[in-house]
Amino acid sequence: MSYLSFESILYTGAIGLIVIGTLGMVMSSHLFRMVLALAIAEAGANLLMVLAGYRGEAVAPILGVYPAGTAMVDPVPQVLVLTAIVIGVGVQALAVSVLMRLYQSYGSLDVRVLRERFELDLSKAAGIGPPGSQEAPAGERPLPPPIPIAARRSELGVPVGGARAGESAP
Amino acid sequence: MSLPMTVTANQIVLAVVLPLLAAFLMQPLASVSRPLAKFLGPLTLAVSALLLVAIWYRFGGAPFVVAIGGYAPPLGIVFYVDRLALLFATLVPLLTLLFWTRGEADADPVRRDAVMLLLAAAATGLALSGDLFNIYVFYELTAVASFGLVTLQATGGAYIATVRYLLLSALGSVLALVGIAVIYLQAGALNLAQLAQLAPATLHDPAGLAAFALLLIGFGVKAELFPLNTWVPEVYATAPARIAALLAGLISKLAVIVIVRLLVLAFDGTGAASLMLALGALGVITGELAAWRARDLPRMLAYSSIGQLGIVFIAFALPGPAGVLAGLAVALHHLIIKPALFGLATRWNGSLQRLTGAARSAPLAAGLVVLFALSLVGVPPLPGFWAKLLVVIGLADLGTPLALAALALVLLATAIEANYLFRLVVRLYQAPATDSRPAAPARLDVAVASLFGLMLLGATVAIDPVADLLGNIARETADVPAYIKTVFPDTLAQRS
Repeated sequence: MSYLSFESILYTGAIGLIVIGTLGMVMSSHLFRMVLALAIAEAGANLLMVLAGYRGEAVAPILGVYPAGTAMVDPVPQVLVLTAIVIGVGVQALAVSVLMRLYQSYGSLDVRVLRERFELDLSKAAGIGPPGSQEAPAGERPLPPPIPIAARRSELGVPVGGARAGESAP
Repeated sequence: MSLPMTVTANQIVLAVVLPLLAAFLMQPLASVSRPLAKFLGPLTLAVSALLLVAIWYRFGGAPFVVAIGGYAPPLGIVFYVDRLALLFATLVPLLTLLFWTRGEADADPVRRDAVMLLLAAAATGLALSGDLFNIYVFYELTAVASFGLVTLQATGGAYIATVRYLLLSALGSVLALVGIAVIYLQAGALNLAQLAQLAPATLHDPAGLAAFALLLIGFGVKAELFPLNTWVPEVYATAPARIAALLAGLISKLAVIVIVRLLVLAFDGTGAASLMLALGALGVITGELAAWRARDLPRMLAYSSIGQLGIVFIAFALPGPAGVLAGLAVALHHLIIKPALFGLATRWNGSLQRLTGAARSAPLAAGLVVLFALSLVGVPPLPGFWAKLLVVIGLADLGTPLALAALALVLLATAIEANYLFRLVVRLYQAPATDSRPAAPARLDVAVASLFGLMLLGATVAIDPVADLLGNIARETADVPAYIKTVFPDTLAQRS
């Protein structure tokens, strides 16, 4: 019994696919690549599911083809995977169709670009300043009092004049 | 009325089948007659709600099992119908009916109605199913239906929110599928009752705990669990407010119920509860802090719902029937309040500053907001106080360092909650600074919110019967041998 049996290679492959897909979804910044990574992760999960019913010496679970009493692989995971594949294809198709609409309205599928525009859109729709802006800080804290224009002018070395000159005189 | 007399146990599948059938018939029917198609949805939902109420009366809440297609468990798929399942299954058509989007502003009202029915069918199945893989399928159906509803407004922002929600949800589903595969590898079963029998021998080990963690991540996406809730504010800010009400009020609770079933039946007494407790506590504090920072009403409600769901998770992580009771109380309390608030936010969707003085044009709506805010914070004698008290007492009884830390976080979160909710209330009653008046909520939204407000007041007055009912449901839910005995009356039960 070596550690590198056929089954262990299959298990490694399945888990590897799941890890690759998950990492791809987390680390990618392009939405279409995330959908592709999702497809890879799903393939890994389905493979793992099939492996749950796999037995090395057994035959396919079809009645009447093999003599009675032959060991067969567990048919339940195969049925489940059939369902899971259909669900997966449906969700991916939906994802791609929404991606197309998204590209039509924003002209980009880069997450970083989209996030910026999205935040702006949301704030504009709600009638508030962009997140973290000076005009409307979080939690409704009072703003620091504005610096008088005259004081700022004297800081910059601009000659002071006009009616309020007395305030900033040294 | 003759319906309650003639209803049989098997007819409970109609509560799932009828909305599903109506969803698929909607499109062909609409091409024949538009007005008929418009009434098909509410009619179907009313029938299925009536059916579930009739079953509740007929069987008095005694748990029973319906084997789909006549195939006996564990190979066949079963619907497990106890009072917990019936309660949430009945709430699905009722709430969908209350938040049925009647507006004709959407581009394609027929498709919207069909997707709403699909959501109702899948959510009912989610509440009733007693088979792990069947639950996964219904969960996916619910997810796909909610993606369709979130894109209703067809703006670029709605598409971004949907894509991010969809990708997160799909990743969660993949991980849940891996969790199911691990459970099947370990226990060789997917029927929840059989899993409950086999769990002590096969699932109470690191592999089993990993499977639970994967399922928690998978179903936690919909349940707004802590690290998986980035979609919540985006979706609730871009989706129609009625859809947000349904997702926050109902669908999140159904995902929680699924997780609770798994926890109670298969992972009781393991590290699983601590994991839920920790994630719930993080959800409470992050959600409430984000809500405090929010500057528009829909996002404030969205973040606050993350915090409330965190408390629900904390409550359900408490051991035994007391935990289930606390969880049910918090979950139902949130289920009454949050949809009503989202309904009011349909017109009040702008920044909080715009709401200054809104109480003048809409006194009833503002009064309801005050009532809901008081109950959310937990001011006695409103039900929110008793719900939070159950959680606090449970955490103090548990007494582990983790539970005490969670207790401190819950109390801190309550203070934050009080701050931002009362800030909202004060704003509503201030004198308007400008001459621009905020729009009053639509009469229908106020009516729905008033209904929820009356329910809340009714529960305040009749707190004893409500507590008794919830206590009975909690005891029934936490009774694992009874669950197994209901599914396997004679054969397998003797083996254990």
